[in-house]
Order: sequence, then C-alpha cells, then structure tokens
Amino acid sequence: MTLDAADLLPLLVAWPLLAAVGPLVLARRWPGAAQFGTALVLAGQVALAGLVLAVVATDGPLSYVVGGIPAAFGIGLLADRLSAALALLVAVGALGAFLSDRSTHDGPYGSLWLLLVAGLTGVVVTADLFNLYVFLEISGLAAYALVAHARGTDAALAALKYLLAGTVGATLYLLGVGYAFVATGTLAMADLGPALAAAGHDSTLVVASFALLAVGLAVKLALFPLHTWKPDAYSAAPPAVAAALAALGSTVAAYALVRVTYGVYGAAFFEAVPTVRTVLLAAAAASVVAGGVLALRATDVRRLLAYSSVSQFGLVALGVGLASPTALTGALVTLVGHAVAKGGLFVAAGTFDRAYGVRSVADYAGLAGRTPLGAFAVAALAVSLVGLPPTVGFAGKWLLALGAVETGQWAVAAVVVLSTLLSLAYAGRLVERLYLGESAHGGAVAADGGLPARPDTLALSLVVASAALVVALGLGAGVLTDWFAPVVEGWL
Amino acid sequence: MSAPRAYTDSPVVTTTVRLLAPFVLTYGLFTLFHGTKSVGGGFQGGVVAAAMVVTLAFALGIRQTAAWLDRRVLLGLVVAGPLVFGVVAVAGLLAGGAFLQLDVLPIPKATVYGTEAIEIGIGATVAAVVVLLFVRIADGYAEPLADGSGVRTAEEVRSDD
Repeated sequence: MTLDAADLLPLLVAWPLLAAVGPLVLARRWPGAAQFGTALVLAGQVALAGLVLAVVATDGPLSYVVGGIPAAFGIGLLADRLSAALALLVAVGALGAFLSDRSTHDGPYGSLWLLLVAGLTGVVVTADLFNLYVFLEISGLAAYALVAHARGTDAALAALKYLLAGTVGATLYLLGVGYAFVATGTLAMADLGPALAAAGHDSTLVVASFALLAVGLAVKLALFPLHTWKPDAYSAAPPAVAAALAALGSTVAAYALVRVTYGVYGAAFFEAVPTVRTVLLAAAAASVVAGGVLALRATDVRRLLAYSSVSQFGLVALGVGLASPTALTGALVTLVGHAVAKGGLFVAAGTFDRAYGVRSVADYAGLAGRTPLGAFAVAALAVSLVGLPPTVGFAGKWLLALGAVETGQWAVAAVVVLSTLLSLAYAGRLVERLYLGESAHGGAVAADGGLPARPDTLALSLVVASAALVVALGLGAGVLTDWFAPVVEGWL
Repeated sequence: MSAPRAYTDSPVVTTTVRLLAPFVLTYGLFTLFHGTKSVGGGFQGGVVAAAMVVTLAFALGIRQTAAWLDRRVLLGLVVAGPLVFGVVAVAGLLAGGAFLQLDVLPIPKATVYGTEAIEIGIGATVAAVVVLLFVRIADGYAEPLADGSGVRTAEEVRSDD
C-alpha cells in the first residue's frame, strides 16, 4: 500500500464520521470513556487538519477524487489554502468547545459532536456542489440534535425552530443546485465555472440558481431577516454546543457562500448581473445594522452575542458582495477572527453561568472583581468584535472599509464604520458592566444547589487562549492576508 | 403473565401479520440486494424490514415487541452501517487504490460485492434506527439510550401486566 498526502483528504472527513459510532457503543457502560474517546478523536482531527495544512503550505493545493470515479460523476475533494485553514479552524474550535464543558452526557452526545465535525469539515473540503449540500445537512442535523440536548422545553422548542429554518435554508440551496445542474449538466465546482459562462451568466436559469444558493446559505449564515433561529438556538443549547456552533456553524456556511460565489460563479457573474451584487450588498448592510441594533436591545448575554453574529456575518457578506480583492481578504480575516472571538465569548458565557449563575448583562455587574483574568479576556474578545487595534477584528474591518473605498462604494464604507459604532455600543455595555457595575452580591451564590464558586480552570484558560489568539492574529494580520492572498488572487 | 397477550382482539389481524412477516422480511432483503442492479438498495430494504417489525408491534403489542427486541443487537445494527462502509472504503486505500475504490479489491466482482456489503450495512442501520425511533416514540420518552434506554426490559413489561 502507498499512502500519499492527498489520501489525507477523505480521511479528514471519514475519521470523525466513522469514529462517531464509538461514543454510541461506549456510553452504555462507560460514559466517561465515551467522553474521553470523543475528545481523543477530536484531538486526532486537529492533528490530521494540521498535517493537511502543512502539506498545502509546502506543496500547494491538494485534490482528490473519491473511489477513482471521475469528478464529473463522482465526488471531488479539494484543499487549497482557504479550505485547509478552515478545516484546521473547525478541528481546533470543536476540540476547544468540547473541552469547555466536561459534565457527562448520554451516548449520542459524543457521536453527534463527531458527526457535526465531519459535516463541517466536509463542507470545507468538498469540490462538488451537491456534495456540499449533503455535508451541510449532516452538520445541520447533528447541530439540531445537539441543541436539543439541553434540558427543558426551551431547548426543544429552539431546536425545532432551528430545524425548520435550517431545513428550509438547505432545501433552497438544493433547489439552486438543481437549477445549476439543469443549466450545465455538471456538479463539480471546477467544471461548473466555464459551463455556467457557456450557459450565459445573465440567463434566467443561472441567475435563479445563484439566488437560490445565496438565499439558502443566507439562512444558515443568519443574515437579517433570516436570523430569528439563531438567538433562540444559541441561548438554549448546552454551553459547549453553543460555543461550537457560534464559532463554526455559520462560519462554514459563510465559507460556502464565498466558495460558491467566487469558486463557481466567479467575479464575471457579478459583472454580467450587477443587480445580484446590489441585492447582496443591501441584504448584508441591513444585516450589519439590524444585528447591531438588536444586540443593543438584548438583555441575555448569549442572545446579545448571537445578534452580534448577525451583524458580523453581514460584514462578511459585504466583503463577498464588494468583489474586490482587498474586501474579500477582509471578509476572510473577519470570518476567522469572528470565529475565534465568538467561540471564546460563548465559552466564557457558559463558564460564568456555571460558576456564578449569571446569564443577563445586568448580572455581569462587577464580575471583574471576582474573576479578573476572565473579565480581561472577555474584554479583549469584545474589543476584537468591535474592531479596534491591536486585534484581528480591526484588521478585518480595516480591509473591508479599504476595499469599499477602493471600489468607490462609499455607502458600504459608511456601513462598516457604522457597524463599529454599533458594536462599540453593545460590547461597551458588556465590558462597562463587567468593570464598573456595582456588584449586586458580595460573595458567590451557593444557595441554589451549590454552584462552584470558581470558574473551571480549563474553560477559563480556553477563553484566555482565544483572547491571546485574537491579539496575535491582529498583530500578525499580515500573515493571514498573505496566507489567503493566492486564493483571492486566483479568483479576482 | 405467561404468554404475551395480543394487542388487538382480532385473531384475523394477528394471524395475518404472523403469516405475512416472513414474506415482508424476504421482500425487504430482495429490495436490499437489488440495489446494484435496479431500483432498491440499503435504505429501501432497511425500511421495508423495519416496517415488518412495526406491523408486528401494532398487531402483537408495542411493549411486548419492545421487550422482545434485544437492545444490544439493535445498537450493533445501528453501528453496522458506518463500520462496514469504513472497512470497505479503507480497504480500497489499503489495496493501493483510492479511498472507496472498489475495483482494486482482491475479490471476484469486487465492485458488485463491495457495494453490496455497504448496502447490507446501510440496510441494517436504517432498519435498526427506524425500529428504535418507532419504539421510543410509541413508548413515550423514557430515558436516553445510553443508560437504561427508552426500550424497556422484559421484566419491566411483565411487572406492568
């Protein structure tokens, strides 16, 4: 047998997918072992993704055809610099989120985590439009079930909402795939680009297919007004699940939007049909503003963070719609930065909830006195969401604004600046509470069943690590932009 | 109680279902194995096989049927699909081909038998999952599958009657 580097690609998806049977079997007798095994598999996934990233960094993009069947009929896999980076992000994010809450769960829990990771990784490495839908659904179904894993009726209802919204989104996407197939007769991304051009970018069929794909993905992205599932799902889910979904769920959908827009339809499609671009920019701008305003009005911290995601993914969509290399790089940097920051903040929210029983912004009053390090890390992550130096959020927003100015889209540039003001208002509210709020209770609350009065050390260190990461990525933003440069230049 | 009591009062229903069951199962397997040649396959065959169990449950009592099903066997069937798929897919890699490449396997008519093996795995998983879902929904949500499961033991059912 000879394994070459490209063989890593199917394993990247197959490893978590096949390992998912483990926890299901183990959990009947040894729930602890199932939990530990899941963490081990996720750690293995980090190693695999790191290996793929290293190979891509040295030898350029990897591609693979499953089963040796030509890509036109079979399933192609592709890992370029963008895919490899996101696959690693998914692996690391999932491992971190899984470790942030180590309370034991029942059998399917670990299996669903692994299925979620398999689905998300699959979306990132597939080179086939229909196969992307399949992986989107695998990750979606696992996510719905994981949200429902929290106790109580809230979680069940939120999971049902999430299921309905997600299914509608995926179905719209599938309709788009169908239209694209009717127009071209192929589903492989590499073949679709020229075939769509041949079919005529401005033909009704092609425009309709893109519109359906984009709207379907916008549901998964939770762009305004398709965002209503998000706050419910994120606030009702178990804390670790909320962290994983906040960091990775919509991030992968945004990746899919970028890949479909530029890797399949291409910038020429935007030039042929400028209306599509205008609509995308308008929806994204509405999302930025609405998400920010809703986050301002939110009282529950998790809901505030979820609305902030709506705003942030609006920014990413702006970068996609601007179709300039600078803005697209900005969108990708924002995407990575947001994933790290939001994951860290959700881990923090879950940890503070378990340790102090605090859930609303008002409850956070004076928390800095009780956990100085945790509060400082949260403040740093919030600063990255706002987009102030020296964090990665600033780098992303700067590039977005620059791209908007370069292309003469002054309105978009204004929206980016406005988003900073809005996010300063809602993130500032949180940080101000943390540091300046009068603590309502002097000591820790131990009345309701004896909550641990101190945050979990591992979870806290994860929050600090993500805070360190947003600062490091901010200071070394050049590394990120250089890393994505070949991909972006290939597209625009 | 000694013998399991029938769920319906109608001997016509119970007798018919008992007679039909082996034929339905055979048809399910027939559908399953046809996947490589024409319509059919693991999903369809698995659902037909599961439909047989569901029909038995309606005729002879859901609880009794649930008690008669061995949970470990069901769990084994659930994980069979992914495991078989994994083994076949990785076998392609080990035989020097691509992941899931079947024509390099050192067996006669490798593509047909490789696909058929995966179909059997899928059929087992689909049938077991449909049966589990049916039993859990019919029985009311008891507790998670991991510890004690929604499917009740025979003793519990007997003590209830």
